[in-house]
Formats: sequence, C-alpha cells, structure tokens
Amino acid sequence: MVVTLLVIITITFVMMHAIPGGPFTREKQLPDAVLAALNAKYHLDDPLWKQYVDYVKGVLSFNLGPSFQRAGVTVNQLIKEGFPATLKIGLTSVLVIIVVGIPLGIVSALKQNKWQDGLVMFIATLGVTIPSFVMATGIIYIFSAKFNVLPSNGLTSWKHMIGPVIALSGFSLSFVARLTRSSMLEVLQQDYIRTARAKGLSNNKVIYKHALKNALIPVVTYLGPMIATLLTGSFVIEKVFAIPGMGKHFVESVGNRDYTVLMGITIFYALFLIVMVLLVDILYSFIDPRIKMED
Amino acid sequence: MSEQVIKKELWDAIPKESKDKEILSRPSMTYWQDAWRRLKKNTLSMIGLAFIIFMVLTAIIGPYVIEHDYSTQQLTLANIPPRIDIYKVDDATYFYMHSEYKLFQVTADGELLDKIKETQNNMAERNRIYNIGGKEVVLDYKYGAMKAEDNPEGIKYKLLIDGEEAKVADRVQNKSYLFGTDALGRDMLSRVIYGARISLLIAFIATVVNFFIGVLYGGISGYFGGQVDNIMMRIVDIINVIPLLLYVILLSVIIGSGLKSIIIALGSVYWVGMARIVRGQVLSLKEQEYVLSARTLGASSMRIMIRHLIPNAMGPIIVSMTMMIPSAIFTEAFLSFIGLGVNAPLASWGTLANDALGGLRSYPYQLFYPSLAISLTMLAFNFLGDGLRDALDPRLRK
Repeated sequence: MVVTLLVIITITFVMMHAIPGGPFTREKQLPDAVLAALNAKYHLDDPLWKQYVDYVKGVLSFNLGPSFQRAGVTVNQLIKEGFPATLKIGLTSVLVIIVVGIPLGIVSALKQNKWQDGLVMFIATLGVTIPSFVMATGIIYIFSAKFNVLPSNGLTSWKHMIGPVIALSGFSLSFVARLTRSSMLEVLQQDYIRTARAKGLSNNKVIYKHALKNALIPVVTYLGPMIATLLTGSFVIEKVFAIPGMGKHFVESVGNRDYTVLMGITIFYALFLIVMVLLVDILYSFIDPRIKMED
Repeated sequence: MSEQVIKKELWDAIPKESKDKEILSRPSMTYWQDAWRRLKKNTLSMIGLAFIIFMVLTAIIGPYVIEHDYSTQQLTLANIPPRIDIYKVDDATYFYMHSEYKLFQVTADGELLDKIKETQNNMAERNRIYNIGGKEVVLDYKYGAMKAEDNPEGIKYKLLIDGEEAKVADRVQNKSYLFGTDALGRDMLSRVIYGARISLLIAFIATVVNFFIGVLYGGISGYFGGQVDNIMMRIVDIINVIPLLLYVILLSVIIGSGLKSIIIALGSVYWVGMARIVRGQVLSLKEQEYVLSARTLGASSMRIMIRHLIPNAMGPIIVSMTMMIPSAIFTEAFLSFIGLGVNAPLASWGTLANDALGGLRSYPYQLFYPSLAISLTMLAFNFLGDGLRDALDPRLRK
C-alpha cells in the first residue's frame, strides 16, 4: 500500500514536471525579477530531487501545497471545501446501489425468464449503456426544465440529491443488479441448496440464509472498482448539476491548467481509493473465510 | 425351445447406405466456424453486429453522401430544430418562425429556403413588418415584455398576416437539416456522422494499441513465469489500484487536448485488463502438449508465443476487445465532456453533447442525437460482446 502510494506520488510528480513551461508561463512574459520571486516563493528554484523529497514529505503530512492559479488558496482548502458535498452524494449513491441494486438482482434471479426478470434486465441494460452525463442532462431536461419538479443545480436540500444520485448510481446499480442475478442463478444450482431444500427449510431461509450469502461474494469484489467509478463519475455529475464538490474543482483545474490542484486531488483520490479497496479486501475475508489474508 | 433359424437374407452383403452411417453426419467444424454458428443463433448479438456495421459504414461513407459539410458555419441558420412549425401565407408561400423571432421562407414540406429580411423594424414599438408573397406580415413581440397582469394568458408574440392573426398551419420535418443545426448553424446530421467517425476511430485505435501492449505484456509474463511473472504482475497490481481515468485526464492535460493525445492517453493506460486475461490464458496453455512438441522441434520462444499460444488464446482476447471498444467510446465522450476532447471544428459525440449543454433548455435536440448515437452504439457493442462471450468462451456459457 505504501509502495503503491509512493509510485502514485512519483508518477504524478514526474508528470507535473514533464509539462513544457513552468507554472508561471503566460502569454505575456513576466519580468525576470517577478518570475524569480515566484519561483523562490514556491521553492521551484530548488534542485529537482529536493522538490521531490519536499513534495513526498508534504503528502505524508497531508499538505498538498498551494494552488498556482488562485493566490492564497491551498489544495488542502479546496479539498476540505469540496469533499463533503462529493462524499454526501457518493455515500448516498453507494447506499442506493446496495439497497436497490441487490434486491433487483435477487428478484430477477428468482423470477428467471418471467416478466419481472425481463423488466429488471431491460432497465439494467439501459443503465449500463447510457453514459452518466447523458442521464444527468436527461434528468435535468425532463424533471427540471419540462415538468419543473426537481431543482437543477446546487445541493441544499434532499430534493437536490435525487437527480445527481440517480445519474451517479445508474451505471453501478445496473451492474450490481446484473452481477447479483448471474451469481444468484449460479448459486441456486449448487448441491447445498438442494440439500437445504431437501431437509425442509422454508424457501425464504434457503434463499436469504444459504444462497444470498454466497451469491454476494462477487458483488463485494465489485465494490472496490465501483468506488472508483463513482468518484470519477462525480466529476461529470457535479459539472452538470453545478454542485460545489471536489469534482468541480478538478474539472475547473483541468480547464485552467492548475497543475498543483490537479496533482493534489489525484493523489487524494488515489489515497482514498487505496484505503477503500483495502477495507473491501478486509470485508471480503470476513464474508468468505476461505480467503485468508496473506502475511 | 424353438430352433434358431438364421434367415438367408442375413448372409447378404449389407447395403451401401448403411455403410454411410459410419461417416460423420456433419462436416467437422473449426473453432471459428463453430463460434460463428453459435453467434448467428443469438438474435440480439446479430442485431448489435448489424448496427455496428451500419454505424461504421455510415461513418466511412456518410460524409461523402450528405449535402452539408460538418464545419461550414451559417450563423443566420443557427439553432434550427429538426421539426418546425410553419405558417401559411398562401398556397405556395409558407414561412417558419424561429424561437429567436427570425422568419424563414420554407416550402410546404419543410425545405428551408431563405431568411426573410424585414421591411420595417420598429424597435420602440417592438414589432417587425415583413413582406412575404405580397402580403404584409407583422410580428408583434411586445407581449413578452408586458407585466403579468396585462398579459394574463402569457402569450409572447402575435403574428398577423394582412391584419389577421396567423395560426400554425402544420408541424413538419425540417427537410434541409434532418437533425437541425447547432449554435453556429452547422448541420447536426453531418456533425453526428462525423462524430461517429472520430469516436469510432479513437475507440478502434485505442483498442488495437491496448491489444498489442496487453498481449505482449501478458504473453511475456505468462510464458516466462517465475520471477519475471512475479515482478510484471506486481507492476500491473499497482497500476490497477490507481484510478485509471484520473491518469487519462492528467495525461491529456499534459499532452494537450486533441485526437492524438486522447488515443495516447487511452492506449497507455487501459492495457492492464488485457494483460491479465492473456497471462491467465498463456499460463494454462503453455502446459499443453503441442507447446512441448513445438519446443522439441526447436521453435523459439517468440515463435511458440506468436504461432501457438496467442492464436489459441484469441477467443477471450476478442471478447475483451469488444468490451473495450464501448468503454473507450465512453471514456472519450467523458473526456470530451469535461473539456479535454478533440479541438473544434472536429466533433466527437462527447464534444457534441458538451456543446449542447449550454442551450439544453431551448434546443434539447442538439443533445438528443449525439446521446442517442452513443447509447445505441454502446448497446450494440454490449449485445455483441455478450454473444461473442457465449460463442467463443464455452466455459462461461450458461
């Protein structure tokens, strides 16, 4: 994990310094004295290795440096400002995905080849194929512009959450439903399910106690990649719904080439993701005792 | 006990037809023929395949066939929707009023002729007077600026033809611009078709690049095994944890936006999944006897890999390639949407969708067509991918 983090920092650092021109290269050439002062202020006149060591030290002490484009604002401030909104929508989406996606998959598996199955699979196929920004703009157009029932921007009430959460969770929800369905179908054909039925357990008990537990293992594996999908998906969603989250800062800094913010948020996201994947791994070993944590 | 009588006919030579029963009733099929046969049975996949072929052909031939160019701007014809309301002046003269109070002469079946120049423009009284087909048409738009109590019905404008209030005669398809025009008066149809060209091109090239890197990396890792495999797979593990899309974004920021940089960014990152699949395949295939016999015959490692291992691993590789194309289209659209797409006047589906976002409330059709194109293509590739997986990878078949 530490190695991964170090690799990520190194890659981002190398990338940052591979950009032609310094961060203060403007169309209008700055006077040399100003440039030198700016370079000295941000320690850009230090030798490269020292900058690298400083940056690594900074990251390890949770200091991601100043923004080069906005004077007096640090990357930490931007993250602190934007992360709560992103987290709020992200967590709600995770909740919705689990609470809606898994039951949909179960229903679809239990009613295999009936109309319920067809309906769920139809929705799930649409969810996987429609890009999130199309879904987001579609929601805004239909529910905000046409019928005026949902607000189209900001994040101040629960009503503001509905659109972004649907658009953000659409893909993963469909994926989870499909995954649950296929693994449930597989599990239901296992011998131990027949045994459980043969010894006279009630249908509910067979399904929820024996089948579901095993069927959910692949779903848990997907949780890690899902968090990555949600994080990157939130860029677009936050842009479309004008939510003041971290994705918006990221997209903005893509627009105005604010490299330190880009690097800082990338590293933050990567760290967040690594921790999440680790947590999922731990959870995984609890759910499936056959998997032992190595070393 | 009755006596066993052996009938005389039984001593006859057997007829020729029954000898034929020994011959296989079906000709033996190669792996690919068999896969194709299975794929043909899957209706959804065939629909997907047909749609993809249609889309590719449209992308290749389309720009030469349609009359409008994707980059010609005609600011007078900006933002004209695909369906237009026309007003009738007399039997031969119709006009269309744009929501920005511009009048265009049209034919009865919806062909756009020309913008009509007003004969009088009374800014102070908020009306314009036109002369269409010898009749005087007055566009009175003072209602939009009125207070709510003066204008209880909320009308925005009135059109008077020779003093009589005009009613919408018909709602017709815009024949000149089937998909309408965008904010700069460019034909949406040709832009969507051109977008298909760019989007599909990026997707195919990125997938081919991923294919080569992934197959090479995974093949070497799986074939040599041991320490080599260990180190190479650790590297893959590390890359896999990094949110790839972030790096694609960083790469495109650094290289600069444009067609080339998107391809480089996609190609340099997404080979990891392919490498894993190839490695897994090669690991199991290299224990087969034919590899041993090839090695005994003195074939070099390179030859074994290219001639024996990779062709045999082709099934899963093709499946993952079909799945990779939609995800490349998706990523490209995503990048374009956050402003890292191809540069104007080039258009991909993602940039088209992004451009349409600003005028979404007034001109939703500008978002609709590129979105529809993306979604249908993704759907088609998904169906085809599912079908191919069932056909090529018998182990995964239900």
